Amino acid sequence: MKNKWTLWALAAVLVMGFATAEKVHIMWSGAITGPTSDAGKYYAQGIEDYCSWVNDTGYVSGIEFVCETRDDQYNNANTLRNFEEAVDRGDPVFLGYSTGGTLQLKPLVQEVGLPFIPASYHIGNIDPPDNDYIFLPIASYSEQVIAVLEYIAKVSPGAKVALAIHPSPFGRAPVKDAKKAAGELGIEIVEVQEMAKGLDYTATLKRFEKKGVQYIVYQNVAGPVANMIKDAGRLGLKIKHAGAHYAGGPDLLRLAGDAAEGFLWVTAYYMPHEQGAGAKFVKDLGAKYGRPADAIESVHYPSGMLAAAIAIEAIKEAKNAGKKINAENVYQALLKMNWQNKLAVGPVTYSKKDHVGVDKLRVLEARGGTFVPVTEPFSSALFRKVHYGE
Amino acid sequence: MRNPWTRTGNYKTSYAQDTTIFATYSEQASLAVFLIGMLVLPRFLVRGDMQILDLILIYALAVLGLNIITGYAGLINIGHAAFMGVGAYTAALVAPHLPFWAVLPVSGLVAAAAGAVVGIPALRIKHLYLAIATLAFQLIFEWAVGHSPALEQGGAMAMPRGMVFFGYKIAFKNHHYFWYYVSFTVLVLMAFGFRNLLRTRFGRSLVAVRDNDRAADAMGMDPGKTKVFAFALGAFYAGVAGALYAYWSRAVVIEDYSLMISIKFLAMAIVGGLGTLVGSFLGPAFLELLDINMETFSYAIKEIYNPPGVDVGSAIRPLAFGLAIVLFLIFEPRGLANWWRLLRSYFRNWPFKY
Repeated sequence: MKNKWTLWALAAVLVMGFATAEKVHIMWSGAITGPTSDAGKYYAQGIEDYCSWVNDTGYVSGIEFVCETRDDQYNNANTLRNFEEAVDRGDPVFLGYSTGGTLQLKPLVQEVGLPFIPASYHIGNIDPPDNDYIFLPIASYSEQVIAVLEYIAKVSPGAKVALAIHPSPFGRAPVKDAKKAAGELGIEIVEVQEMAKGLDYTATLKRFEKKGVQYIVYQNVAGPVANMIKDAGRLGLKIKHAGAHYAGGPDLLRLAGDAAEGFLWVTAYYMPHEQGAGAKFVKDLGAKYGRPADAIESVHYPSGMLAAAIAIEAIKEAKNAGKKINAENVYQALLKMNWQNKLAVGPVTYSKKDHVGVDKLRVLEARGGTFVPVTEPFSSALFRKVHYGE
Repeated sequence: MRNPWTRTGNYKTSYAQDTTIFATYSEQASLAVFLIGMLVLPRFLVRGDMQILDLILIYALAVLGLNIITGYAGLINIGHAAFMGVGAYTAALVAPHLPFWAVLPVSGLVAAAAGAVVGIPALRIKHLYLAIATLAFQLIFEWAVGHSPALEQGGAMAMPRGMVFFGYKIAFKNHHYFWYYVSFTVLVLMAFGFRNLLRTRFGRSLVAVRDNDRAADAMGMDPGKTKVFAFALGAFYAGVAGALYAYWSRAVVIEDYSLMISIKFLAMAIVGGLGTLVGSFLGPAFLELLDINMETFSYAIKEIYNPPGVDVGSAIRPLAFGLAIVLFLIFEPRGLANWWRLLRSYFRNWPFKY
């Protein structure tokens, strides 16, 4: 009888708990359809699943998260509409996506003071002006490319490098810094080639070969990169390939097959096939919420999780400090963040001057159909010097 | 005696009466009511709705320009977003130095100059070949912006903030309300210009050249000059729309003026009704509202049916866009403007039928 009353009391407490849980909205606006949706759909799923996990486990007591993943179709007007809706609703943080959309929103983000965590790691997002409220989850494209150049300079001193970039602000972001870093590292950037969705890169590759290019470094998305490395394989070229976060990963392996062997890839995320708590967490969440293998294997899935996790962690900090959950308090929590996460190779740390979350990167190499780390987590030695002149 | 408020027959006895814009007082009155309705509409809409309405007005202005080039002059233009982009980038460059009411015509004029240059190939080529020439302009525009450090290589160029207009400070809360009234005023003025175009010698030349340029030449018109001028005038409209879009979106980014947007404008012109004034409003309104409603519908679908690995809900949105265009091309090639015409015809003689 006593047990029965205890159970009733427990049930009442639980019901009361759910009834009084504060609802906090987090909106993401990105491409689930349209250009780059191959990355965006998994990124969105990462956000959804992390949110579901937080709600299911009661990770932040007293808060029920309502995470909305909006398909903006890579259309900046839709991104703007979604962002303003979040502002009007009083959301405490916003998760963004594309480079163009983020750059366009910068002045508005500054005006309304809503913390913004994009999927684009363009350094321009956090460079002045209007850069107070934008926080990158991991190191910028510029730092990623410089990190891989540092690795190349170490294994092949004096190497000749070509940059193959996407014809957009996303692709062009690291070029200036990469050229400066190459000078410091004693390697030569012999050409910067913009490449979109070409189906045959024979002419470009033959030109690279003629110029003695040893490495092609990509700041692009996996599709065009896969086409180029397959063409290089077909032509029997001895050129090695390397790339920043969005250029490589399991998506590249799936698209390029054996041609991706030896591809050097720089990122801050753990791979699902690795040993460790982070990889297990990603796999378990994917399995729990019924995601297909392609989603779980994709680097965009944990990328979305990390973005959501940073937002939720900041909200948790604000809540624990007894503050109201609003944009200003979440912003203050972000500025003090020093969070040991499981998803990436370093802690997420921010400050007034530092808006890069995970400062560490790793170089991984495609070997036998998986990416294997070939370096320990490290920070680029040159990035701050070439970009900020420090 | 004829009732000046209704039309129960054709009483036109002169060319001036035949080209009149308003046939009856009721047409004038209905336009006045419509304009007043549009002016008071913001009182009943929230900020988010205003944002969508602004976008429709700006796109309507751009589609008016496209209708001059493609609808009136019959010159296929796949680079219209680039003209809009020329206007937007001009606005970004001159806005720090000029008030917005001066930025709009300046942006239009620079775009018109670009339009005149793009129109030059129209002197020698037409049909699909000209379409390719306009496509080339679109690509050249994107390439040129992408390689111009002065234009941030396609990254964001922020527009001035904290504007004050006759003591009225424009900030986040009233941004879309202010630009609604600006866009609406500009659209009304330029729509009157568009409506009057066909009553001018130049406007009739456009249609004559579209229907048969050799015959138009034989009748003393200059097809070459007409085509170049059509491009310049259409680009002017697009340039002003681009400047408005730049202010509305607060920053200029190359992706807003891409080939996809050019195709979207063509879709809007087709769905609205090529070469029609009312179609220039109905096309953008229909496709923008379709997209937003399909977005809501897709989320509802996701709630009901969301099998793993197949994103049925998300697929519905682009599918609806494509389907709308195809269905209009098959079943109503004259677009929504024709439905508007039929509706007006129905009420014209109401309650007395022929």
